[in-house]
Amino acid sequence: MRIFTLLLTFTLQLLAITADEIIKKVEHNIQSDSGYSKITMIVTTARGERTMKMESWNRGNEKSFIKVLYPKQDRGITFLKIDTTMWQYVPKIEKIIKIPSSMMMQSWMGSDFTNDDMAKESSIVKDYNAVISAEDETEYTLSLLPKEDAPVVWGKIVMKIEKEDYVPLQAVYFDEDGIEQRVLYYSEVKVFGTHHLPTRMTLIPSNKEKNKTVVIMDEVDFDIVIDDSRFSKSALKRYSR
Amino acid sequence: MLLKMAVRELLTHKKRSLITLLLSAFSTALFIFANAINDGSHNQLIRSSVEVYPGYMQITNREFEDNPSFDHLIFDVAEVKTVLNRVEGIKSHAVRFESFALYSTDEQSIGGMFTAIEPENEAEVSRLKSSLIEGEYLSEKDANALYLGAELAKRLKVTVGDKVSFISTGADYSFAADNLVIKGLFKTKLYEFDNSTAFVNKAYFDTVMRSENIATHIIMTPNEIEEIDRVTDDLQNALNDTLEVKNYKTTMKDLIMAMEIDEIFGYITLGIFFVVIFFVISIFAFLSVYARIRQIGVLRAIGTTPAQIVGMLLIEALILGILSVGIGGGASAYATDHYEKHPISLSSWGEVEVEEYFKQYNMVAEVTMPTEFNPPKIMLEMLMMLLLNLLTVIYPIVMINRFTPTEAIRYV
Repeated sequence: MRIFTLLLTFTLQLLAITADEIIKKVEHNIQSDSGYSKITMIVTTARGERTMKMESWNRGNEKSFIKVLYPKQDRGITFLKIDTTMWQYVPKIEKIIKIPSSMMMQSWMGSDFTNDDMAKESSIVKDYNAVISAEDETEYTLSLLPKEDAPVVWGKIVMKIEKEDYVPLQAVYFDEDGIEQRVLYYSEVKVFGTHHLPTRMTLIPSNKEKNKTVVIMDEVDFDIVIDDSRFSKSALKRYSR
Repeated sequence: MLLKMAVRELLTHKKRSLITLLLSAFSTALFIFANAINDGSHNQLIRSSVEVYPGYMQITNREFEDNPSFDHLIFDVAEVKTVLNRVEGIKSHAVRFESFALYSTDEQSIGGMFTAIEPENEAEVSRLKSSLIEGEYLSEKDANALYLGAELAKRLKVTVGDKVSFISTGADYSFAADNLVIKGLFKTKLYEFDNSTAFVNKAYFDTVMRSENIATHIIMTPNEIEEIDRVTDDLQNALNDTLEVKNYKTTMKDLIMAMEIDEIFGYITLGIFFVVIFFVISIFAFLSVYARIRQIGVLRAIGTTPAQIVGMLLIEALILGILSVGIGGGASAYATDHYEKHPISLSSWGEVEVEEYFKQYNMVAEVTMPTEFNPPKIMLEMLMMLLLNLLTVIYPIVMINRFTPTEAIRYV
């Protein structure tokens, strides 16, 4: 769920005043004060397919904790994100590593997601202006453009939001030259109480036609109680076991 | 008889002859030496840039340059090696796997290149081994041993014997991490390279990065650099289409083009120098010939033909030219040979300053400037200078032959 939330809010929180209402409704739909999820991530490349399983805990959009469960050799790798800073604990080397800014555009766990997707180091809310660029009976199309001098990753993001339940449908990411870099598709919407959550997310990089990363939410719990200790650096090692 | 007259004339006016000879000899020496230093420094820069790490020839996946992902690798290194052994003209080859890693110490984490090499083979295709400044170079038996760029070591605040952890993505996109011990530090004088790169033994790398029989590059050195294009073509024809063979003329074309442009500017400068020399010698030749108008008038009056006058003056110029070009050429040949073997040191300008200068352009910081001792080229340049010497007397000869014997005798 953490990945969903991050990717969605990465774009949605950018929205300016004219799109604020849409953002709030989408955030309200997909986020909770605290949550837990079990995730399967399938990374497909030209040379094969790799499956990972993870558990994720989050408190709002500011704090999250991820633990890798599968494959066996990666089991126990943990990630902690607090605001825009991310740490990683790797049992094999018994070390907590802070992910530096220079690594933010690197692949996250060999997937098509980047560390920046996870940490949201580029300041999304304050760095982008959003407008409703199109609207029909069933969906909004939002265009997000970076503010002048904003240190952002993307040159433009175009998102489609389903009108009835404020469910995200698709996000297209462009670079600074306006060239499409990747498309994120949301599907398999399931209802969790008042939340209409897309439980499958497919990220397809535009320049790697045989690559894709699919994230499937196997279990989701909204508004659960999570101990504060979960979101501390010491938790990385403690909860790794 | 003309030869005798010319020699006598030269010996009669020793001072004038000596000045002309020295002027021409100095110009010849300067011209040849300037060209040699131009060629020598350019060749050194290209050779250094190629040999430090990139190598003379490389094989990669055809898609790798445009899209350097792990989907575009050399997936059967063993097969390529058998082809390499079949193709004539390849002196040595080495397999590399270039990837990216996050290096971490207790103090900090820094991203950099994480590259696997075959230590012994690599020493044959690049200067990595000879760039060692502390500790030891890698060996084929090493596991967990890191050969680290000196500038990257500074940033990580580590030295030989210290532990560095890395995290990276394996060749199969799996997660890879391990603890390494620094075995040696290297400094290639290519600042950005030293600041961002570290190497491990490929046999070890393959176990943590799951890259057995896989590589990003195979680097080769040809037997003869002059045959590199032929070897490149032969190898390309012997390999399958998914792989691409390139030599340094392609991989380093920007540097070579920069050197060519610099060479053009060098030739323009030398061209200006050449013109200046021409006019200086011309003026001196003009004055020398004009000082002899009355003498030539007398010669004409006693029956010497204009053609004989031309012949005599040309022989004088030829004698002086051969002597001066011989002396100048000989001196410059000695100097270029000497400075090729013992390059001019720029360290008196400050080694740090020189390195800073090259760092700006991300070029190998060379603190020496060698000449290129190229006898055929020196001979050609000597011939050019001899022709120049002869050309300088053409105008004075034409002018002096316009005088009638009477006008010449009365000329004041």
